[in-house]
Amino acid sequence: MQPKRVLVALAGTSADPDVIRLVASIAKPARASVIGIHVIEVRWNLPLDAVMEPELDRGEQLLESAKKVADQVGISLETELLQAREAAAAIIDTAVERKCDLIVVAMPFRKRLGRVYIGRTVQNVYVNAPCAVLAYRQEQNA
Amino acid sequence: MSAEEPPQNPNDTPSLERRVTRAGRHVGDRYVRIVRPIGSGLRGHGGHYVATEQTMAASGRLGRAWQGALGVLIGKRLHSEAEAEERVGVETGLPILASDNISSSAYATEEAMRILAIAGAGALVFTMPIALAVVFVLAIVVLSESRVIRAYPNGGGSYLVARENHGVIAGLVAASALLIDYVLTVAVSTAAGIAAISSFAPELHPFRVPIGVGLIALLGVGNLRGVREAGIAFAAPTYAYIVGMAAILLIGLGRVYVGAIPPIAQPPHPFDPVGTAPLTVLLILRAFASGSVGLTGSEAIANGVPSFKKPEARNAVITLLLMGSIFASIFLGLTFLATQLGIAPDADEIETVNSMLTRTIVGATSPLYFFVQFSTAIILLLAANTGFTGFPRLASVLANDRFMPRHFADMGSRLAFNTGIIVLGVLAAIILTAFGGSVNALVPLYTIGVFLAFTLSQSGLVRRWWRLRNKGWRASIAINALGTVVTGTVLVVVAVTKFQLGAWMVLLLIPLIVALLYAINRHYTNVQDALVITGGEQRLPILGAPAVIVPVARIDRAGLQALAFARSVSPDVKAVHVSTSTESANEFQRRWQRLGTDIPLDIVESPFRSLVAPLLKYIDAIDKSDDRPITVVLSEFVPRHWWEWFLHSQTAMRLKASLLFRPNTIVIDVPYHSSDTGDLAPGPPLDSAH
Repeated sequence: MQPKRVLVALAGTSADPDVIRLVASIAKPARASVIGIHVIEVRWNLPLDAVMEPELDRGEQLLESAKKVADQVGISLETELLQAREAAAAIIDTAVERKCDLIVVAMPFRKRLGRVYIGRTVQNVYVNAPCAVLAYRQEQNA
Repeated sequence: MSAEEPPQNPNDTPSLERRVTRAGRHVGDRYVRIVRPIGSGLRGHGGHYVATEQTMAASGRLGRAWQGALGVLIGKRLHSEAEAEERVGVETGLPILASDNISSSAYATEEAMRILAIAGAGALVFTMPIALAVVFVLAIVVLSESRVIRAYPNGGGSYLVARENHGVIAGLVAASALLIDYVLTVAVSTAAGIAAISSFAPELHPFRVPIGVGLIALLGVGNLRGVREAGIAFAAPTYAYIVGMAAILLIGLGRVYVGAIPPIAQPPHPFDPVGTAPLTVLLILRAFASGSVGLTGSEAIANGVPSFKKPEARNAVITLLLMGSIFASIFLGLTFLATQLGIAPDADEIETVNSMLTRTIVGATSPLYFFVQFSTAIILLLAANTGFTGFPRLASVLANDRFMPRHFADMGSRLAFNTGIIVLGVLAAIILTAFGGSVNALVPLYTIGVFLAFTLSQSGLVRRWWRLRNKGWRASIAINALGTVVTGTVLVVVAVTKFQLGAWMVLLLIPLIVALLYAINRHYTNVQDALVITGGEQRLPILGAPAVIVPVARIDRAGLQALAFARSVSPDVKAVHVSTSTESANEFQRRWQRLGTDIPLDIVESPFRSLVAPLLKYIDAIDKSDDRPITVVLSEFVPRHWWEWFLHSQTAMRLKASLLFRPNTIVIDVPYHSSDTGDLAPGPPLDSAH
């Protein structure tokens, strides 16, 4: 597959730098453009466009860090900060709107009740996205 | 699939942020896209933004290259919060702030001997008593300075003490004296360092001035990298000097003790052994004054207390005591050995007493000889660093008190006071060059400033203790009164004995600098008086639309853009065109009419072909007939490349420069970049463009 536009969802976990390097290895040979997004999930008791300063700061910082990693690996990363009730829906909608042909989601290695835990967002993107989805799980000891 | 909605409350939306609500594919999938200046380097929201390091990144190849070179030369930019990390402990503080005093031990003996040698070789027996007297004064100074540190833990040293206890003028006298002395510290230390190098490499002697200037530049760059980094770089040579001297003293004292005295090294050009002048009290006092050069630098610690880690005062006092002990041990040891072995100074300053003594004790081919000479040269050069630490800090204190230009209080990218460092480097280089790099010629200028500052601060503390009368005030008064008497006496001795040799220059310069500092303060006070908002002026004044004048050289895109902008500022706009002939004036008038604008046009004919002068007279005439401020809107064509500037006459630039100092005039520059398309409606061409 030779994607033309890749959307990478960044959650601010330790898996983010790895997933950007992975995306670079896909996007660079294909000369694909890369969009990095971070979605702030807004609780239902707040208006959708509520100004949540700590979350905005964190989102901005993680996107800046992602940009730095992207610069290091030699790709241009366009970043976008979103607020939504459900991160997965916003990721998919953005991918559709920006005509992305690949969504890359990342998850750190986590276990719950003795089983590897795949978060709600990754599952929903995986199930509902109309385009190709690549889910990256971090190494166990990372 | 999506609809854009404006934000619900514009007041909630920060100025650099745009929020766009998008409808998702399904009901309830709405989301908000937050467009923020990510990557611009500004972080924050809600109208409060913090500039990150990214905003400092240069654009353009030249800018990036310059920034890269600066990064290599002075290091990475430091955050303001890193200031605490830039502070130093005792072990680093000693080389930074005490190297000047400790290094003085390398040449203080020689300076005293050189004066005594004028009266013949026999007069050199007075060297040791003079050294003891100098160490006695040092002990008093160290004791008194420790009181200064405890009383003024925020630094400022003699300036602050004198200002608070004797008044502003006394403070400025102390500050001026210290500023001069710091400059001389750099010049003298560099000259002495080169003298030490030329002792074992005489072929470098003719090049001492250019080498000195280069070394001053090197020290300046080292200090631009920040106090801590400079200290780390300078620590090793200082400790190497202390170890080297300790080894020489131990070996030398051992040889003297067992009587195994080797052949004495002779100076290349000795003084007349009979002497050229009689041995008088004045000559002995002159020798003492020259030996007192060893006391310089002892004020630097009291001035630089804030450079230390917490507890600042305690660390500073420990460093001061260490400094005094190390100086006294080396100075007395060297003087004892030099007089015991019969070392005489060199009349032409080619080889130092220190070098001859080391050569005598360990031999000219011994690695220890080279180690001692090299470490002496390095510490003498680093002693100049005390000036680089003290001058910028004192200048920043004076700048904060508005006695020096504000730039001196601004910290550079490495949290160093860059302006002070650069100014000091330039002044020291000028002085070194003017005096031909001679230590002997520079030393008479030295020490007066230090002793003047000492005397003022000691007497200031006496007044302070008398005023406060807190616990232990009697002991404090006794110590500082003794300090005042001793340093005051040395000051008089130095001033009298060195007056004709050059001290008069310093005595003349001090009142001039005081007057300059005072004048700077008066300027800042006047400016503040003119600018400060009084209680009745708290509200913004309401101004009417100004009278706007738009000088138009040609009817082109740049001119139209300026006219359009002027129209947006005021309805009262007047265009003016300066023409060099009646024909061109008529032609311009015709084109103006074709433009179809209602903006009135005045044409000024200039048969002498000057453009700026008639325009200024025209503005004067308008100003006389209108009470409102005159606003001049200038259109300026900005070429794509810097070299294209030379292809344009830059009339707007000249006009701007002429109007800059004109009262009651506001100048607005409307640049037209060659890539601008503007919002002007397309129409038939009216005139040729640039």
